[in-house]
Amino acid sequence: MVKVIVSVKEEIIKAAERRKAKGLDEEISQFLAELIDLGFEHRLLQLYKRFESGEISLEFFAMEMGLNIRGLYAILEEFGLPTSNIKAQISV
Amino acid sequence: MNVIFDAGPLITACKFKVQGKPIIDYLSDKCRIMIAESVEEEVAILGARYADGIVAGKRIVKGEIQVSPLNGYQWQQIMANYALGKGEKDSMELCGQTDSGILITDDYLAFIVAVRLGLKTRMMPDLIVDFAEMNKLTVEVAASIIKAIQPRYQVGVIEHNLTRLREMK
Repeated sequence: MVKVIVSVKEEIIKAAERRKAKGLDEEISQFLAELIDLGFEHRLLQLYKRFESGEISLEFFAMEMGLNIRGLYAILEEFGLPTSNIKAQISV
Repeated sequence: MNVIFDAGPLITACKFKVQGKPIIDYLSDKCRIMIAESVEEEVAILGARYADGIVAGKRIVKGEIQVSPLNGYQWQQIMANYALGKGEKDSMELCGQTDSGILITDDYLAFIVAVRLGLKTRMMPDLIVDFAEMNKLTVEVAASIIKAIQPRYQVGVIEHNLTRLREMK
């Protein structure tokens, strides 16, 4: 795990503090780390929708995520998502 | 037959194996495989720590995959309007500069743009079936390749190709 210093909106810090005050057993840093993970996942799924619809290409998608194609492949495989967006679904 | 691979299908061809042999090895003696420098960088240089990157790198060194520099950009202005990556744009430019070049891409947007530019364009599973049709690959080997690369594609694409192969028997 890498440690970085980032600016965070005040309301997010307050929310983290309120959670801790309510006795939730987590550190503020852990809450923030989870938010970053969720943000990454949200961005990935947002871009995947644009990729799936053919609005952006795979390489553009990777670039927007700050990844190379292989890194993106690995993440898409982890999520169980197809890496080719040329559709020819079978009608059932 | 000059075949220009985009990064995605090249990674797939170097990653997946049939009978212990990377798929790229079933193709490289049947056509001239060409890639743009940016595709080499993406697959074999940035990807040098991955097994498929090493497979690609070795074939480049042996000359089985030819890295071709571009002689300028004829479609830069057109492509600027599309959300494409450098490797995809360069592969289309390279295809446009290659006699009877066939672009191999599995990306929807790249496929559409390439077709609109008048380039002959195929998905990698179609190239495999084309080789079976030309008797450059046996139907059995072609089917094994299609099944091996299945995780990368939508169901209909795979079934389309397996049906074409069954019709050849």
